[in-house]
Amino acid sequence: MFQYDFMQHAFAAGTVVAIMCGAIGVFVIARSLSFIAHSFSHIGFSGAAFAVCIGWNPLSGLLLFTSISALAIGGFGVKVFRRDVTISIILSLFLGLGLLFIALSTKQATAMYALLFGSVVGISMSSVWEMLLLSLFVLALLVVLYKPLKFDSFDPVGAQAARLPVRVLSVAFLILLGIASSEAIQIVGSLLVFTLMTAPAATARYLTNTVFRMIMASAFLAVIGVWGGLVLSYYTNAPVTFFIATLECIFYFMALGWHALRERRKARTVEAVTPVWQRA
Amino acid sequence: MNDIALNVSHVSVDLGGRRILSNLSFEVGHGEFMGILGPNGAGKTTLFRVLLELLRPTKGTVQHFGERSGQEREKSEVSTRKSTATIGYVPQSRQIDTELPMQVRDFVSLGLPNPFRFWLSRRDKEAVQSAMELTDCARFGHQPIGKLSGGERQRAYLAQALVRNPQILLLDEPTSNLDPGAQEGMAAVVHQICRSQSISVLFISHDVNLIARYADRILYLTPGHYAVGTVDEVMRTDVLQRLYGTAVELVRMAGKLYLVATEQAIGGGTDICN
Repeated sequence: MFQYDFMQHAFAAGTVVAIMCGAIGVFVIARSLSFIAHSFSHIGFSGAAFAVCIGWNPLSGLLLFTSISALAIGGFGVKVFRRDVTISIILSLFLGLGLLFIALSTKQATAMYALLFGSVVGISMSSVWEMLLLSLFVLALLVVLYKPLKFDSFDPVGAQAARLPVRVLSVAFLILLGIASSEAIQIVGSLLVFTLMTAPAATARYLTNTVFRMIMASAFLAVIGVWGGLVLSYYTNAPVTFFIATLECIFYFMALGWHALRERRKARTVEAVTPVWQRA
Repeated sequence: MNDIALNVSHVSVDLGGRRILSNLSFEVGHGEFMGILGPNGAGKTTLFRVLLELLRPTKGTVQHFGERSGQEREKSEVSTRKSTATIGYVPQSRQIDTELPMQVRDFVSLGLPNPFRFWLSRRDKEAVQSAMELTDCARFGHQPIGKLSGGERQRAYLAQALVRNPQILLLDEPTSNLDPGAQEGMAAVVHQICRSQSISVLFISHDVNLIARYADRILYLTPGHYAVGTVDEVMRTDVLQRLYGTAVELVRMAGKLYLVATEQAIGGGTDICN
């Protein structure tokens, strides 16, 4: 499997992006931004289609569109965009625009397919480098902003009470999210950004009880999902993204089941030590 | 207690064309426990926002005096910082996800003044530990914050504000969702911190009797009016009638105070308008 360049590239790019998405995903779900991440991916899709249409590198279109929308959303305030109506309108507009750009360009079907469903196999070495640099940039900023982001994401009222610059943090995080979704699109496609951005973090939430371990677990699960997807796809010829999505989903429900089981067992032990006359 | 920690002078606040606070002046001494009472909409939370400099008053000034003259606390790094670092604030409504993957200790350490450094120095650890001991949180330091009871959670919020080593502590209805026992416990903890650390406390509550037991002085706010003074000075029928502008009566029953609206003004209407 590793004798092929395209598999090496796919593993390298997939690993890098999975670590970054897994890490940022923890903050995405804590800030309830998963649907904004989803709309970013659609906005990114139309950006990439636009870039393809005028003959740019798709990544520049992705970054351009997502960064502009990050600034726009930051300007209006995130609350407006948490409303699902606003999101659905924006989603449809940008999907429509993407469709238009695809129709206008000459390389239609394959480009469209790659943007919607991902194209990790067949990624070039230069793209791998691009993704590595971008991911390192995002991760470095996450490290620098770790403490204030943790405060603001998990205890927004407290962060405001402690007079953190919450507005600046929010916009900075949206820009990071825009970059992260631009990268995730290239691995799993814009329709399935959730699989790397929110599913591993949602799973990690059931497994640990500190934010740092949650980030580690989330990144780990994302990487395992991508590796598993690549291996399974190599041997079955079914699409990689399908396997990644399925694996992340299985992880999630296993974690959920384990969590529920553990809670029930805990409840039973409490019941066992409570004297009969005190039971309700 | 004689040194002034906070001086509010002729502060008025207009919000959306409505006057919320009108010509409010009072002082709070170092280590003083000031209870703030008053009906909803009287501007209690607005006052806190002004004190925190989140809101600029339309008129008037607010001065914090971080450095204390006379009996000084040990010169720690924090107390010599600017006034911005010296206010601890526990806001009113705070929703914490019950699944929040964070232990109480980590939650408290979020409040540490250094904004970016995410590892804890030894001094940080000591600050977290002492804040948790002061608020009686140390027992459940390793539990997830989402699993705590309401009273325990309020104490964790308090610890998060205390870890910054504030000289003024603003508490916005810290007892509002607690059962009577937990309310008493919370007020007692705050009172003890106020005394032992000589931190000035401004404590908003709707419970007259809780405030009356612990506060050195009371600031009673109603829309457009206010009164400052000791419990005996403020909690009087004539003062309250002036504040509310309608007939109210203060009833004392079994050692407790009750504020009752009455049909007719007692003692004539001369005191009402002001």
